[in-house]
Amino acid sequence: MNALAVLLILSAAVLLVIAAWGVIKLPDALARQHAATKAGTLALALLCVGAMLVMPEWEWVRRLLLIVVFLLVTLPVASHLLARAAVRESVAHQRSIDAAPVLSTREPPSL
Amino acid sequence: MIAWATTALVIASLLALALASVRLVIGPTSADRIVALDIFLAAGVALAVAASLLTARTVFLDVAIGLALVGFVGTIGWARLVERAESPGTSEERP
Repeated sequence: MNALAVLLILSAAVLLVIAAWGVIKLPDALARQHAATKAGTLALALLCVGAMLVMPEWEWVRRLLLIVVFLLVTLPVASHLLARAAVRESVAHQRSIDAAPVLSTREPPSL
Repeated sequence: MIAWATTALVIASLLALALASVRLVIGPTSADRIVALDIFLAAGVALAVAASLLTARTVFLDVAIGLALVGFVGTIGWARLVERAESPGTSEERP
């Protein structure tokens, strides 16, 4: 039981770092948001289950279950709204680029 | 053994906070910065659970519950704000 809790907490730590690394490394806003939400939710759920195994009393399990249920209910909604905002933002950005007057026929510098 | 694992979790959370801070500074669009804020929220909840495990008090779990609540509302608010700022014509048509 104890070793399982240690395994769960350590995997939660690794997943949290992977989520943050994905936010740095992935190419655009949608991919970054997907990495942050999925890996972050899994990391927090594993951490809460590990803490339940460490402290198997009702006072702890009640609160940890509340955290897990709340995250599982709210994070998909927040992720969906954030993805929609990211798509709208990138579309508006591209439209403003297309609408800008062409001052030179030279190729723009690649970023 | 548990204390060792929890310490590793604290270090991982701080590393995640540092990486998300980089994205918060360099993020080209506003959505990228909100994603970094999401990572901040996850690291904050993880730090609160780690604090409650290390001190064996349930008070910090209440902090984690509150953080999860406020972070959800914050993310939704920022997402609506970005959407409204970037598409001024379409936001008035929806209720």
